[in-house]
Amino acid sequence: MNRIVKKLLSNTTSLIGLILLFVFVIIAVFAPIIAPPLFSDPYQIPRMSWDTEPQPPGFPLSDDMIFIYESMGEPIIRDKAIFGTAQGGYDIFYGLIWGTRTAFRIGIVTVVFSMLIGVILGSIAAYFGGWLDELLMRITDIFLSIPFLVAAMVLTTILGRGLDKVMIALVFFGWMGYARVIRGSILCAKEDVYVMAARALGVKDYSIIVRHLLPNTIFPVMVQASMNIGSMVITAAALSFLGVGAPLGYADWGQMVSFARNWIIGSPGHAGEYWYAVFFPAVFIVLFVLSWNLVGDTLRDIMDPRLRGEL
Amino acid sequence: MVNDNKTKILQVKDLKTYFFTENGIVKAVDGVDFEIYQGETLGLVGESGCGKSVTAFSIVKLLDYPGKTVGGQVFFRGEDLLKKNEKQMRQIRGKEISLIFQEPMTSLNPVFTIGFQITEALKVHYKISKPKAQEKAVQLLKKVDIPIPEQRINEYPHQLSGGMRQRAMIAMALACDPVLLIADEPTTSLDVTIQAQILELMKTLLKEFNSSLIMITHDLGVIAEIADRIAVMYAGKIVEYTDTRSIFYNPLHPYTYGLLTSIPRLDMDIEKLDSIPGLVPDPLHFPEGCKFHPRCPFATAKCRKEEPVLKEVENKHLVRCWHFEKVKEEAKKIAFTGRLAVSE
Amino acid sequence: MLSYIIRRILILPLILLGVTFLIFCLFSLLSPMERLATYINDPSVLKNPQSAQRLIDKYHLDEPFPSGYVHWLKSLLRFDFGWSPTANQPVWEAIMQRLPATMELVLYSIIPVILVGIWLGVISAVHHNDILDQFIRVTAIIGWSLPTFIFGLLILFIFYGMLGWLPPGRLSTWAQYIVYAEEGFKNYTYFITIDSLLNGRLDIFWDALKHLIGPIITLSYISWAYLLRITRSSMLETLRKDYIRTARSKGVDEKTVIHQHARKNAMIPVVTVAGMMIIRMLGGVVITETVFTYPGLGFWAASSAQQLDYGSIIGFALLFAFLMVVGNLIVDVSYALIDPRVRLE
Repeated sequence: MNRIVKKLLSNTTSLIGLILLFVFVIIAVFAPIIAPPLFSDPYQIPRMSWDTEPQPPGFPLSDDMIFIYESMGEPIIRDKAIFGTAQGGYDIFYGLIWGTRTAFRIGIVTVVFSMLIGVILGSIAAYFGGWLDELLMRITDIFLSIPFLVAAMVLTTILGRGLDKVMIALVFFGWMGYARVIRGSILCAKEDVYVMAARALGVKDYSIIVRHLLPNTIFPVMVQASMNIGSMVITAAALSFLGVGAPLGYADWGQMVSFARNWIIGSPGHAGEYWYAVFFPAVFIVLFVLSWNLVGDTLRDIMDPRLRGEL
Repeated sequence: MVNDNKTKILQVKDLKTYFFTENGIVKAVDGVDFEIYQGETLGLVGESGCGKSVTAFSIVKLLDYPGKTVGGQVFFRGEDLLKKNEKQMRQIRGKEISLIFQEPMTSLNPVFTIGFQITEALKVHYKISKPKAQEKAVQLLKKVDIPIPEQRINEYPHQLSGGMRQRAMIAMALACDPVLLIADEPTTSLDVTIQAQILELMKTLLKEFNSSLIMITHDLGVIAEIADRIAVMYAGKIVEYTDTRSIFYNPLHPYTYGLLTSIPRLDMDIEKLDSIPGLVPDPLHFPEGCKFHPRCPFATAKCRKEEPVLKEVENKHLVRCWHFEKVKEEAKKIAFTGRLAVSE
Repeated sequence: MLSYIIRRILILPLILLGVTFLIFCLFSLLSPMERLATYINDPSVLKNPQSAQRLIDKYHLDEPFPSGYVHWLKSLLRFDFGWSPTANQPVWEAIMQRLPATMELVLYSIIPVILVGIWLGVISAVHHNDILDQFIRVTAIIGWSLPTFIFGLLILFIFYGMLGWLPPGRLSTWAQYIVYAEEGFKNYTYFITIDSLLNGRLDIFWDALKHLIGPIITLSYISWAYLLRITRSSMLETLRKDYIRTARSKGVDEKTVIHQHARKNAMIPVVTVAGMMIIRMLGGVVITETVFTYPGLGFWAASSAQQLDYGSIIGFALLFAFLMVVGNLIVDVSYALIDPRVRLE
């Protein structure tokens, strides 16, 4: 484990990844200080005005809004939208800062749960083999027969809007890769002498799997998991972009991009007028995904030296 | 030498092949001389990494990057191969000089049939029709004692056993009646019984084709069966070079002596098998003086400073050692006759 | 070989049965009433509880699992996928009408990647071409971290917003008028790029192409990165194999060594990636078409999802699952064609 940490720190690309990741962690942790919430639900993006079209960076809080806050008796903490506002007057800066928390939540929760399901099913299939293995693997095949994004879209549509629904859909269709990887490595490790010995001694199946097999086979799965966090966040954002993910006004990067969709071209004669509406959300998503990919890629290189230096 | 009256097929003179790696220059082959006559078999013996395979690949100019032959001459039927370009070399490879490799599993292409791989050399070097080539492939497979060759030519390498695969490799190498065969550890990956069969087959075929052979191996037992003469290599150089009989009866180099004492023998009551102490030296940092001195029981201060030259010390017996007399005396104490008695 | 393909095809219905079962399970999460809504084109029927119950009985929507599934399966076999309010036509018709547009996009994305991508990957492995290597490295990194919807918006922003070159949609209005309304224009394949050429309308061909380029780039940039990368590294690895040296030792020339001995072996992992690529593309179609408002299946599915048009979304999922199963079959057969060890197992 020490060796891995050293490798991660000595490799330039993974170091960049780790630094980026660290910055995002800081943003997520200190979100209430960086962008103090205005409502009891901090994930609800405050609106700076009722404007339909996006407003440029530095746009001040509109008089309508000041009036509303005053009549509600709320103090006005911020009076400028640093990154401008999205369609509907939503504050982009606020949405991105709190969206960092959303991204971490989606990435980590979905990956942990799908990994858990995958590891349990995969190790059961590999360890017991026979018809159980056959059955579980055919089920895996069937789950893999629907394109991931399409499957997640269908399930989210059926379950209804909301971040929790998105996460359920991502976990439900996201465990198969882990099951296959863990099954493969356990099938190899199963034949090892120490497992044979444990079996011969009459150690219980459960503790052979948990004590002997998993510690020796879990690492490739962890690498895959770290690389999947990025793609889970992308898929969740894509669902929001398609309008079936987070509810309207929820601090979610995908939704911020979705807000920008109709304004990307600009108005006649002013091409790219609303660049800020897509630029800032895009930077956040890309850097977040990049940071996980850089770390994951290095982890994979450490695991599989054959690929090292190839790219 | 013994075959002075025969035609000289190959003469290697002061061959030097270096690998230019990131960490420095590896002198894999550093001044090697030997020659082979028609129908004769030369054994090239040494531990892995001593440069024996690199010597072979230098002859046919099939070195892997970053290897490069930097000096010497390789006369094949009077012409220097090192002066030939890639196109001229291609006409020689597979036709006049062909190779047999160590791992028949990985050395045969898994996605082509045995028949295709055998006839390929024929198609490359002669204008030959497909049915003619097929027919020839069947004949060749018959020659190497593969049963039902008509069926085998349509099979893939993974459908054959290890021994069968090596037979197919040999058939492939013999396709164009080569003058010289180079076999790189052809029996190492096989079972002992199969090893013996393959060696027997090679001996028969060599006689039939009147081809010469360079047999590369780390196994003195194998070499005793097949070679006429033996060159023992250590750290990129030949350390002893003479006929097979002398190597076994009268070793003069401590390294050869060490190799011989590490052969398990049934006929002698030796308490423990001596293996040569120490490790093959790091090719980037060869020791000064004689390269064998850190592992040599006979080493003196002189060995540590000056490197000996390869010189003829007895009749047609070349050795690279300051203290070959001491080795001779020591070796006499244990007569290495048993080994040869087995094979003769 | 033939027996291998036949065996594979025989498994096909089993997998499809499993997929329909999975989708039926998802569908069953909806209440009978919601499911009924997918079958009728007049929402007012639902307001009357009695007529609604009659229809629920008619479509066997509240029957328990085995018979409910069987009835649903039977309706699928009759191509009765229900009614799509989004398209205002039956789901099956909506699918058939939009399929050519999507196929045109997907095929034009996949074919160049496979043909040119593999060729470039081989070249870059053999020649150690620095410019090509850099290109592969950069596309791989970008492709990995830039989500399709952002990349697509970027393309739209630059090539439409700034430069005005690549407009969204499938055809300009004037061209739509000719293709869909004019008597003289005949549809042979429903691929506009092909039909326009068959009709001798170069202007329409050019217009259709301009609309296609943006979606094609958006849909395939990740695949370019993956395929180039895997071809290159697989080829590099194969060229180090013993059997390559064997081929050279037989006097085989370098061209044959690379394009026959090495490439065929190097293709084995490439096929796996190509398969994954097709799957990614099927998912990417939804986003790409939405970004470019390209009137294909994906755009329709996204609009249906937003409007909670369950019937359409289920029909769409069934179709894409079917396409994917067929895609996997093609991948498996390609494996067998390349590798005798698979074929003769």
